[in-house]
Amino acid sequence: MGGGLLVVLSALLGAVDIPIRLGLQILLHEVTGGRVFPDACAGTGLSSTRCDAYTFIVWNLYLPEVLLALIVGAALGLAGGALQGVFRNPLADPFLLGISSGGTLGAAIIYVYHIGVGNADLYLPAFAFLGAVSTGLLILTVARGRYSSVETLLLTGVALANLLSAILSLVLLYNPAGSEQVTFWLLGGLGLADWQVDGIAFGSVLALGTLLSLYGRELNLLQLGSDVAQSAGVDASAVRLRVILLASLVTAVAVAFTGIIGFVGLVSPHIVRRLAGSDYRVVLPGSAAIGALFLLGARDISYLAFPGSLFPLGIFTAFAGVPFFLFLLYRQRRLAPMGGG
Amino acid sequence: MTAEPPAVRVTHLGVRYRERIALHAVEFDVAPGEFVALAGPNGSGKTTLLRALLGFLTPDEGTVELFGTPVAHLSIRERARRVAWVPQEETLRDDVPLAQYVLYGRYPHHRPLDRETESDRTLVARILREVGLAERAADGILSISGGERQRAILARALAQGTPLLLLDEPTSHLDIAHQLDLLTRVRALSRSEGVTAIAALHDLNLAARFADRIVVLSRGRRVADGSPRNVLSEDLLARVWGVDAQLAVDSRSGLPYLLPRRLISETRPAPSALSPGPVHVVGGGGAGAPLLRGLIDEGFRVTAGALHLLDTDAETAESLGVVAAVEGPFAPLSSETRTHHRTLLADARVIVVAPFAVGPSNLANLEDVLPFASSTPVIVVDPVPGRVLDFAEGRATAAREALRSSGATFVPDSETAVREVVRLLAGARAPAPEATAER
Repeated sequence: MGGGLLVVLSALLGAVDIPIRLGLQILLHEVTGGRVFPDACAGTGLSSTRCDAYTFIVWNLYLPEVLLALIVGAALGLAGGALQGVFRNPLADPFLLGISSGGTLGAAIIYVYHIGVGNADLYLPAFAFLGAVSTGLLILTVARGRYSSVETLLLTGVALANLLSAILSLVLLYNPAGSEQVTFWLLGGLGLADWQVDGIAFGSVLALGTLLSLYGRELNLLQLGSDVAQSAGVDASAVRLRVILLASLVTAVAVAFTGIIGFVGLVSPHIVRRLAGSDYRVVLPGSAAIGALFLLGARDISYLAFPGSLFPLGIFTAFAGVPFFLFLLYRQRRLAPMGGG
Repeated sequence: MTAEPPAVRVTHLGVRYRERIALHAVEFDVAPGEFVALAGPNGSGKTTLLRALLGFLTPDEGTVELFGTPVAHLSIRERARRVAWVPQEETLRDDVPLAQYVLYGRYPHHRPLDRETESDRTLVARILREVGLAERAADGILSISGGERQRAILARALAQGTPLLLLDEPTSHLDIAHQLDLLTRVRALSRSEGVTAIAALHDLNLAARFADRIVVLSRGRRVADGSPRNVLSEDLLARVWGVDAQLAVDSRSGLPYLLPRRLISETRPAPSALSPGPVHVVGGGGAGAPLLRGLIDEGFRVTAGALHLLDTDAETAESLGVVAAVEGPFAPLSSETRTHHRTLLADARVIVVAPFAVGPSNLANLEDVLPFASSTPVIVVDPVPGRVLDFAEGRATAAREALRSSGATFVPDSETAVREVVRLLAGARAPAPEATAER
């Protein structure tokens, strides 16, 4: 209920102010296929051209943006929860591991080498997706040796992230023309949102997320160490490979459409653990829910705080998220010391 | 009727880590319901053996069977329904409620989408009662004490409902009361439910107290195996752990227990050039070894001679770093060796003669002592007065009588001889090495 209301109200927020009543009428008109409010702008005295423009803005720009925020937020939260679980490390998130750096490099190649000019809507997400997925696969391949441990895997990811950043800097250094667009990509945003993008993102995140959520019990046992997990019947290395692969794919979908949006993947699982305990059967779907709300909230607050501006969302998640996260962390610390970590 | 297969059958098990041999040709069976303690020094292969039993590692040689099936043929899930593991400790990060933590143990009995059933919960409640944690069921696993934590780990392993339980040093972080408590519970399980238990235990007294059987590993080999009464011995402690210990029997239980006294010499500070001495030991065939060890232990510089290569005394001398005049195996003493021996005798502040067998090839050893008997104190170890191991047609007996008449002290055993040396050199002794060596 509350979530639905938040979505509706969020859909009225954006670079252009939409009167609340008008916005609600437009949404009802579109959702019911014109049965309610056959004239979306009835009683507002708007000309039909302006009414069409408002309708377009609410229905084809704002609402897809809102939905994409929810989908991508859920994807990042889920990936963060899964990776923190599999690495048994509260700092793990898709960015630390270089999965999103890989996506950025893919996107940068598009801009810098002018691939698919005129068809960027297709090529950009595709290259970003490939960049992110191949980074995930590379981590798994490199670390699949006989003596690999969770730590090796984590360090491989961190090393790879640094290497990819260096390659990206090198590419941009020699091709300054593309750097502005790439910077925008690095900051992350919902600008690519439309119904088609939302559909693809929703379908893939739903499928991957459902698969990932099935590993809750295995992740619970992995928290006790791979040996103990294995002695209790969990195929630790197989679970690790599958979870990292699925988390890479989910992250890749997010990065493909929105660039790098930091902090959601890191913070969402922590919030869930504080609120609902450490059972990964709860942490995984919970992180998806919190991530979705977090990203939508960040979008809304950025529009409310800076009306009319297109503030890069990736910056805003950090601005809004860090103080909140620190507050949670220290408020809880006083009650009970955090274990491990 | 076919015989029941053993709970565990280990056949010619060999495991190497790169070049290092961790286990070599280890064989043993464990009968269902038995409680076996695995003992051995650090690095002797106990943990490796447990990991092989769990199927965590692939042996380089041999096989492990659990209840008649090779462990390698079992899936991870099937294994988890036959054998559960209690590690030394678990790194717990999340403060999950105890009851939920124990429920994790039910994992191998569930299919992918199953939820925990009512019977799982009933079972967990019963196990928590059994391990004495019923009241703490709702408490966070991080908030309970170390002793309770170890029982919680045991409870999680028990929730797997396996007929075999492996424990790796389960008591190493516990105080004595909790050690007894945990092992009592494990033994009760093995008695009442027929659960087979194999536990790596450092504490031999605990092992003797609780286990039906002790398997001792040393450098990856099985060196002893049997009931505590048959396995524990002073000799085993010396050989495997390098510890000088006293074996006693508890009058109430009739069980053996060990009082460790000190490390055997290798690890004691070696005598330096400043140590008193030298004390020269005349021996051969192993008769001198206790003297060499005893004197080194007391912190003296020690020399020995003339010994034959490959003989026990020569090997002991070498392992202790004792300077010795040495001859080739079984050869009569050459003039060079005799000269060397005489130099050592001349340098000695005390000469000790071991009760060694004297034959033609080493008679010179004894005869060479005679010229020094007037100037240097000589102690002769003489276990059975008047009986000399004389294979040299009476010449050995004659030489000993000559020593007696020139004032040599005759003592009944090596320990007395060492005490006599200590008394003779009392003023010159380095300050009590005892204090640093005893623990």
